[in-house]
Amino acid sequence: MPFLAGALAALGAGWVGFPHAIYKSRPQPVDFSHKVHAEKAGTKCEDCHAFREDGTFAGIPSLSTCAACHAAPMGTTAAEKNFIDAYVTPNREPDWASYAQQPENVFFSHITHVKLGQLKCEQCHGDQGASDKLRPYQVDRISGYSRDIWGRTLFQSKAAGAVPGMKMDDCVDCHRKQGLSHSCLDCHK
Amino acid sequence: MQRTRRDILLFMGGGAAGAMLTPAPWRLVTDAAIWSENWPGIPRPARGEITARYTNCALCPAGCAVRARCVAGQPVSLAGVAGNPLSQGALCAFGLTGHQLPYHPQRLKQGTPEEAAAAVRGAMAKCGAGESVAVLDLAPGRAASWTYRRAMAAVANGVYLAPPPPLGGAAVNLAKARTVLSLGAPLLDGWGTPGNVHAARANFRLIQAEPWESRTAALADEWLPIRPGSEAALALALKDPKTAPSAAQATGLTEKQILDLANELTANGPALVLSADDLPEALALNHALGAWGQTLVARPEVPVPDAWKKAAPERVVASVPDNSIRVLFIDESVPGSHIPWGAIEKKLVRDNPVVVAFAWTLEGYGRHAQFTLPTAVYPELTSDIPPAIDSPAATFRISVSLVAPPAGMADPSAFIAKAAGIDAGNALQERADAIHKSGRGTLFTYADGKSTPLKDIKPDAFWKSLNEGATWLGGAEEPLTRRRGDAEEIPGELPSEAPRLRVSASDTFPLLVAFTTPTPATLSSPLMSKLYQDSDLRMAPNTAALHPDTARASGITGASRAVLETQYGRCAIGVIPDESVPPGMLEVAAGPEILDICGAFTRAKVVAA
Repeated sequence: MPFLAGALAALGAGWVGFPHAIYKSRPQPVDFSHKVHAEKAGTKCEDCHAFREDGTFAGIPSLSTCAACHAAPMGTTAAEKNFIDAYVTPNREPDWASYAQQPENVFFSHITHVKLGQLKCEQCHGDQGASDKLRPYQVDRISGYSRDIWGRTLFQSKAAGAVPGMKMDDCVDCHRKQGLSHSCLDCHK
Repeated sequence: MQRTRRDILLFMGGGAAGAMLTPAPWRLVTDAAIWSENWPGIPRPARGEITARYTNCALCPAGCAVRARCVAGQPVSLAGVAGNPLSQGALCAFGLTGHQLPYHPQRLKQGTPEEAAAAVRGAMAKCGAGESVAVLDLAPGRAASWTYRRAMAAVANGVYLAPPPPLGGAAVNLAKARTVLSLGAPLLDGWGTPGNVHAARANFRLIQAEPWESRTAALADEWLPIRPGSEAALALALKDPKTAPSAAQATGLTEKQILDLANELTANGPALVLSADDLPEALALNHALGAWGQTLVARPEVPVPDAWKKAAPERVVASVPDNSIRVLFIDESVPGSHIPWGAIEKKLVRDNPVVVAFAWTLEGYGRHAQFTLPTAVYPELTSDIPPAIDSPAATFRISVSLVAPPAGMADPSAFIAKAAGIDAGNALQERADAIHKSGRGTLFTYADGKSTPLKDIKPDAFWKSLNEGATWLGGAEEPLTRRRGDAEEIPGELPSEAPRLRVSASDTFPLLVAFTTPTPATLSSPLMSKLYQDSDLRMAPNTAALHPDTARASGITGASRAVLETQYGRCAIGVIPDESVPPGMLEVAAGPEILDICGAFTRAKVVAA
């Protein structure tokens, strides 16, 4: 009986407590809704997450992109008022945390994957574009990787339609399936 | 219910077994592995705006044009510049990794400039009759070189020393050559400007006469394996076929081979003969073949301000009396020619000479100097690059600083000018102004790939463009003012040691030393060194390979330690018997100790340790 109790306690701690303990989280600075922007304003992913003229990916839009529409409050919500007061008026960039930030030793080209590989944003970033609220940013306490890099579940699901992580194994899996090159120097320049 | 120690142990055992069925331990192992790759001690490249900047590589006299991809102002990768009329878009392996040099583990970061200046002042005050103050400039022709020459002209008994100019100061016009005979010159392996050589390569037939199958020999149209030290005999026979029988004996070639080669050089001209160490016989052969004015030309001087012309003449080390230099400055801040320390040391006075070396690494002369002052290294430094040997036109380009050097780096020209009591001013800009004043030539700007006549550019715009990596190209070569080529008529002083020693084997030093790299004095980037050594492509420093027969004759059996001895001294080396090395040769991977006793071409002997 004590053996079983110990095993059950460890299983509980490992499956329930550990996933909470391994990540620390912080909220995003702005209460942003992708859904509202997509449905009401009719914006597409690439309207804000654009490529620069030289082909590099701009990533999270800067304040000037937001301020192009939000120079004055658009609506009366508390989130809108907070955004205008805290960032647009004082011209202060929000301290966004990037869910998909790759580590320093990885060279990832968005334009190659989007334009040449014809990948949809959702294939790597999941349903982020349809979310009504930004999830807290979670980072692994030891490795420093974002939770989205690992995959949102502790063990990644390989089921069809599941959002993969963005670890090396995930990249290699996809390249292998597509019959593409996956040598070290493709990503580690 | 009473708990026993057994229950606690069972609980712990159950916990351990249960934990194995959770992701926790496996994830912790993976996380710890990732952490070890990204821990805070590992340098991280900056993140920020991606820009392109242009400069010129200062790692060798070729001065290839470089496009640096910078992230937040930090260069992260280097590439050649397509369309550049000199380097033609090419960059060698060393140049591609040049941005890593500032992080080299051998980087010198501290020095004592005040103490050095005080010691120099004291020694200069003590300098007696027959003694001199000298500057050894390993990369002559720069604006800094002119500062040294002016400084030495301002000092009593000042001497400006530089390595002898290759080909007596002439330039090679490879584009005109149809046949090139190379007597051991590493034409396809670090000689001249790589892009220019390879662009011209399709138009000439290359015959490499060399004892071992070097990389150039392997890529040549024809390799003539000759005996070590017989290059001069071959050159003489090609000029004067009457000596062919004795040359055949010396080189190991047949008389027919020598006569066929002589015919080919004459029939398929214009021809060019290059030798690794400027053999007078090769220069004379060029003269006989009519190469002067065709494939060998007199390059016009890059203009300098009139005020600079009161400068000390250029001299070679061998011309200075032994035990006569009391103060010696050595500028090795940019890679240049190498002179064995043994040849320099004997020129110093016996009682307390002061030697100040300006270097970015302690691998060179700094090991022998009383004071070694750290300098900026490419791509930190700002310096002009003299014209390359294969540039018939005069050129002026600046290696622009892409990264700020660390604090405390010494400026060799400012230090020497101050010691001599002259004002070095802004030598680089003064020289650029003198070039602009001449109104000659064109300016090639990299960002837009355009060539603009100099007369259409204002002085400020010219200076600005040079600081953005542009290249000034002077006009075409000038006609020779006098004929050169016969050994007796070669201008300037010839190195006393190298060519003469190479002509005939000596009983004392029977082996000919050949380096595995064309520029043994240059440290390569840490990444390149690691890749080479990890992959076993390059021998470790201070190692030599020699034919088993040669090893046996030297009393060496198997791989072992030995002593390498030359006229300049001796040092311990590792020896590897290798059947691919021709008998009579010693293939050497240079290290600092070997460089101290070996010039570019030296004879040596090896004895068992």
